[in-house]
Amino acid sequence: MKKPRLAIAGLTACSGCQLTLLNCEEELPLILEKFDVAYFPMGESTHDSLATYDVALVEGAVSTPGDLSTLFKLRSTSKLLVAYGTCAMHGGVAAMNNLQAAGRQELLREVYGAPGLELETFPPAPFKNVISVDFAVTGCPPEKGELIELLGALLVGTLPPPRSYPVCLECRSRENLCLLLEKNELCLGPVIQGGCNARCPATGIACEGCRGPVAEANVAQELELLLERGFSKEEIRRRMSRFTVEWDYDQRR
Amino acid sequence: MTSVVEISPLTRVEGHGTVKIYLDGPRVEKVELCLTESPRLFEALLIGKGFAEVPEIVCRICSLCSTVHKVTALLAVEDALGVRVSESTRLTRELILNGGLIQSHALHLYCLMLPDLFEVRGVSDLAQKAPELLKAGLAVKRVGNLIQETVGGRLIHPVNIRLGGLGRRIGRDELLLLKDELQAIMPACRDTVPLFSTPFSFPPLPAPAYLALASSDPVSTGDAFLWGDGSFPVHAYRERIEEVYLPHTRAKQAQLEGNFPTVGPLSRLNLGAVTGTEASPLFEGLRPELTGSDIRGGNLARAVELIQAVERSLSVIEELLAPGRDASREADAPVRGTALPGSDLRVGTAACEAPRGSLIHSYAFDEAGRCKGADVITPTSLNQGAISRDLLVLARAMEGAERPQLIAALERLVRCYDPCISCSVHLVTL
Repeated sequence: MKKPRLAIAGLTACSGCQLTLLNCEEELPLILEKFDVAYFPMGESTHDSLATYDVALVEGAVSTPGDLSTLFKLRSTSKLLVAYGTCAMHGGVAAMNNLQAAGRQELLREVYGAPGLELETFPPAPFKNVISVDFAVTGCPPEKGELIELLGALLVGTLPPPRSYPVCLECRSRENLCLLLEKNELCLGPVIQGGCNARCPATGIACEGCRGPVAEANVAQELELLLERGFSKEEIRRRMSRFTVEWDYDQRR
Repeated sequence: MTSVVEISPLTRVEGHGTVKIYLDGPRVEKVELCLTESPRLFEALLIGKGFAEVPEIVCRICSLCSTVHKVTALLAVEDALGVRVSESTRLTRELILNGGLIQSHALHLYCLMLPDLFEVRGVSDLAQKAPELLKAGLAVKRVGNLIQETVGGRLIHPVNIRLGGLGRRIGRDELLLLKDELQAIMPACRDTVPLFSTPFSFPPLPAPAYLALASSDPVSTGDAFLWGDGSFPVHAYRERIEEVYLPHTRAKQAQLEGNFPTVGPLSRLNLGAVTGTEASPLFEGLRPELTGSDIRGGNLARAVELIQAVERSLSVIEELLAPGRDASREADAPVRGTALPGSDLRVGTAACEAPRGSLIHSYAFDEAGRCKGADVITPTSLNQGAISRDLLVLARAMEGAERPQLIAALERLVRCYDPCISCSVHLVTL
């Protein structure tokens, strides 16, 4: 069988999703054997600019004309395009505080001074705002297991089944102390996509929401629960928008 | 006739960058290093956030350096709050920083640098041409990551190290497992040194002006920087480090007294004391190669530091396992509440040695505990001036060379600095 041709690229992000691939130390030699890694600037020095790919794994939000052209190019040259990580799916940390273009200008001035206003950039957006996406792997950073699962499925010509359950499900099955109900902490577990095996609550740290909303999250109920526990609306929204800006706070399922 | 040779994108580095070489006939007019990472504006995003949120958000500046960003941010916030942590917590942070260094150095040497020694394009070809060597390097990297995952609860963007203490103490069995794993990679670390002992055969480059933290303890705050023949306190960094905005790059360029500093492994070995029963004599033996060297010695320095970091991790684990250490007596006082009494702005500053060099975080908080100002200076922004300077010297020394040779040499030079471009573009509130 011909090896699937893989493109791996990053837009506005920390490179953590790409690093997650390189962090699969035990599996990496096998991955490199089974796939033709045709485009991967972080790990390979030359590539064919006219190439086409079977799969593109792209991390990061879209915030510059350069990001857009990379994304359009990979979309048009790849059979499958995977939004790889929370920034690609939901905007991620860089999307905080800059919903309006005017807000972005303020942020630019703050960091770079007046010359910053000449930088060509717009509020960081998830892929779904600009292109169609065939599959997504969430997480900041993504779980190694979910990446391996995707690569394994691709080798047999399919995609992994979608997951749709909150962090609480795995958290309860690990028998962790419930930080929300028993310790009164601002834990976002009930509305966040699981699959991380509740890593953070397992070490006593409240879920910060790095994996984005779970489908059919009861957002309004979470909001009420947190308000009852004495958190201010402002604080709750600030915490919820750390990785995902576009929440529907009235959603009730 | 003028022309421009562009290396775009720079490859086998972390983040997005390009190099432009402006030629007049065969003559090199100038070279521009452009760090083109999309601006993420972290310093501005932090404004208005509570002090406890700052370390959790700011570690996302960079994946490769997320542990050291988190620890440095924790130290800076704790400096502002006047919080002190227990010795166990301090040691645990030192352990995870060493784990981060092992993972970062192993990644750089074996995945990004080694393909140059074998003249291949990257890790894929390396897996065919030198599979055993790549596996040995990945095994070293894995143990660095195992430390980060065990101690941090997560590999990238660790969660278990938190303000004023730890989420969960690391168990005895986990520490013993780490000890076994660290001992098992020592031979591979020793084998790394000869691999990188021959520098690239470039024409000589300018002598670096070294900058590094004075302390040999990587997790410390309030210490001094060593610079030239003198030193200056970390808290005074703003008075000493000047930054210049250049239109072609998104990271500001740092200068000290008109000089471009060099930070990183080579600087640390040149300015600091090398500890460890193996690393210390190893360094003495390699002193001529390391102290008289230009930045090409950086890879050998990284290999020496790998051994030093394994030895340090082992000694930290011994200290954490010491029979006299009663964790229950060493409990950290939890940091509660969100407000900070008092009317003045509370400012906190800390610096750590990240794998790539000195990293500085500084924050100011108001009485409500909200962030009013944030300033992050990263190793790559400190190195940026020196990289540009060396690129010009090398391009001029190679005038008339074939284009592929020139491009390959300039890319290798950039890699010797191990730049982390994601980090570099998040510089400074004015």
